[in-house]
Amino acid sequence: MGSKNLHNNLQGYAFMAPAMLVIGVFTLLPIIFAFLMMFCKVDLMAGSWKFIGLDNAGKIFSDVKFWHAFWNTTRYVVVVVPTQTILAMILAVLLNNKVKFQRGFATLLFIPSLTSSAAMTLIFMWLFNNNSGLITQFINNLTGQEYKFLSDPQLALGVIMAMNIFSTIPSFMVVFLAGLQDIGEEIYEAAAIDGCGQVRKFISITMPQLMPVTFYVVTMGIIGCFQIFDQAFILSGGDGGPQNSTLTFTLYIYQLAFNSSDMGRASMIAFILAIIIFSVSHGIDKVFNADKVNG
Amino acid sequence: MNKKLLAILTLVILAAALMLGGCGSSNDKEITFTAWGASPSEVAALDETIAAFTAKTGIKVKKEVIQDKYMDVLKARFSANNPPDVMYLDSFEVPALLKSGVLEDVGAQIDNKDDFYPILLNAFKDQDGKYYGVPKDYSTLALYVNTKLLESAGYKVADIPKDMVGFLAFAKQLQTKLPKGTAAVVFDRELARNLSALDASGATVVKADGKADFTSNQNALNYLQMFIDGKKGGYTMNAKDDLGLDWAGAAFGAEKAVFMMEGNWVLSALKKDYATVKYQILEMPTVNGKQQTMAFTVAYAVPKGAKNKPAAYEFVKYMTGEGQKIWTSASGTLPSRISVTKELKLEDDPDKKVHILGAAYATVWERGVTLPVINSAFGNQYQAALGGQKTLLDAMKAAEKEANDEIERQK
Repeated sequence: MGSKNLHNNLQGYAFMAPAMLVIGVFTLLPIIFAFLMMFCKVDLMAGSWKFIGLDNAGKIFSDVKFWHAFWNTTRYVVVVVPTQTILAMILAVLLNNKVKFQRGFATLLFIPSLTSSAAMTLIFMWLFNNNSGLITQFINNLTGQEYKFLSDPQLALGVIMAMNIFSTIPSFMVVFLAGLQDIGEEIYEAAAIDGCGQVRKFISITMPQLMPVTFYVVTMGIIGCFQIFDQAFILSGGDGGPQNSTLTFTLYIYQLAFNSSDMGRASMIAFILAIIIFSVSHGIDKVFNADKVNG
Repeated sequence: MNKKLLAILTLVILAAALMLGGCGSSNDKEITFTAWGASPSEVAALDETIAAFTAKTGIKVKKEVIQDKYMDVLKARFSANNPPDVMYLDSFEVPALLKSGVLEDVGAQIDNKDDFYPILLNAFKDQDGKYYGVPKDYSTLALYVNTKLLESAGYKVADIPKDMVGFLAFAKQLQTKLPKGTAAVVFDRELARNLSALDASGATVVKADGKADFTSNQNALNYLQMFIDGKKGGYTMNAKDDLGLDWAGAAFGAEKAVFMMEGNWVLSALKKDYATVKYQILEMPTVNGKQQTMAFTVAYAVPKGAKNKPAAYEFVKYMTGEGQKIWTSASGTLPSRISVTKELKLEDDPDKKVHILGAAYATVWERGVTLPVINSAFGNQYQAALGGQKTLLDAMKAAEKEANDEIERQK
């Protein structure tokens, strides 16, 4: 019996070996490496490592650029996550209302999610182009002021926010739509008999019933938003400008790692980011109490 | 039993595949070479020169054009111990690579060192006099004048003052006679464009210990202030911030600016995209009574980890020697060798002669390991000063602090 077990186990491991190998080499090993580098001064080009303990942490917390990255990313998360969640939910509810051409609308609304973020960034850069961008012209004509969205440090991050909201709403909307279709009709009927209006139904039935889905959407949104990189990279050409206004955590990690060749500090920030994401999603879990809804 | 065999077989195959994947093939008649392509025509010129090299030596060149973030890609390849045999190297990047010690001394491969413009060769020299790159070509800044706009405002090229203070005063006056939407001057606010002027003002932007100093020299501050005043007065404009265009050349090409201070890389755009613009090229205005312009140069360098050094050396030697004539005449760039400049009679070329004059007194865009940090701090803060969010002095103090703190952290 024992040998049969061993045999079965061996076989199992053999089949898992390719996947384990890939995960080991491309996920676990880099994490271990990054963890070690965090406490060292590393010049990867020269191949030199020097243990410096927690110096990297000290350097990071005294670094204005880190705080720029921190506030930019935080601002980004605080604006984008609630906006995209609420808009996605509203759109899903509207679509769920047995409108005509429901599928057609869903398809149309889904198109932005299919576009690659690089292409999307370029399109938004055209729309918000300082001189002749469609949206720039429209807003400038409307307000009579001259906004320069891409080179004004107050506005550049807003363009990225708008773009991300626009492009992530659809996929979350579909998730909400699936959640909505799971809510039993009888609950609404019972509420109707009790004399509930549409708004009350939405607040007292739809929203609580959607809680697990909302939890999923918010968590995914938070993780995605904290890791915002490509849009900021393309819009600023990699430097996080104008005046560090589009410098995000991941962009700063990239700059430290590949421009300054300072892997130690880059790894340290990566871990700080991981801790932030972990704590925020944990906090969200506590707030939403997702597991307890619906018994 | 069969299953066990199958499992073992799978493992063996996997292991073999991994080991084989790790090995590359090497051939002593082939080298790898990384470059960037400024334009399709430049890549074509490069191909032409490489073809001539292969025809002469029989050494094949595997060229890799890296389109974006060239140094990021290269640094990653150095880290992975997989550098090319030969690479393009911007002078600006030299100090950091020397600090990491990843470049090979190529001094022995340079024929007739005196033939190079000294500022270009020196950009690739370390303190011990070793050379880590052989310059292939260079660009310098010059003052481009749209003669049609200037003349329709009632001025002649001869009216343009030679010094910066006078020039900007002239620009202010000129602005009043220009049609709406046209700026007298488009300027660039980066340190890369202004370092020579700051030097000429007497400032030591990068101190001996590598720290930044933007504030201790009043002349330098006055120089920077002139553009802030100019922006307020509407006669010096930044292409990106104020006109919403990608670069100064686009503003000049669209006849939205009378003057721009640009490098000879604009010539191909002026000839192809903006062929109707009538222009004349003058030397950069003097600052503090001194001639000044910036020079940008790129070299061929050989990494220490190059796999085929003899062939790499031969390639570098050819490209910066015999092959330079083919390269510069096909690409339109300025040769780093004085003899090639003379042979091609470029000093008689009305477009190129001013840029070549600059090579005698230009400041090369390079100043030690800390320059990238100082450059980005200056860029951020000078933009804030130009935008009116800060006074110049506050901005420059902030730039100093931002740069020096980061330099301290990188130690």
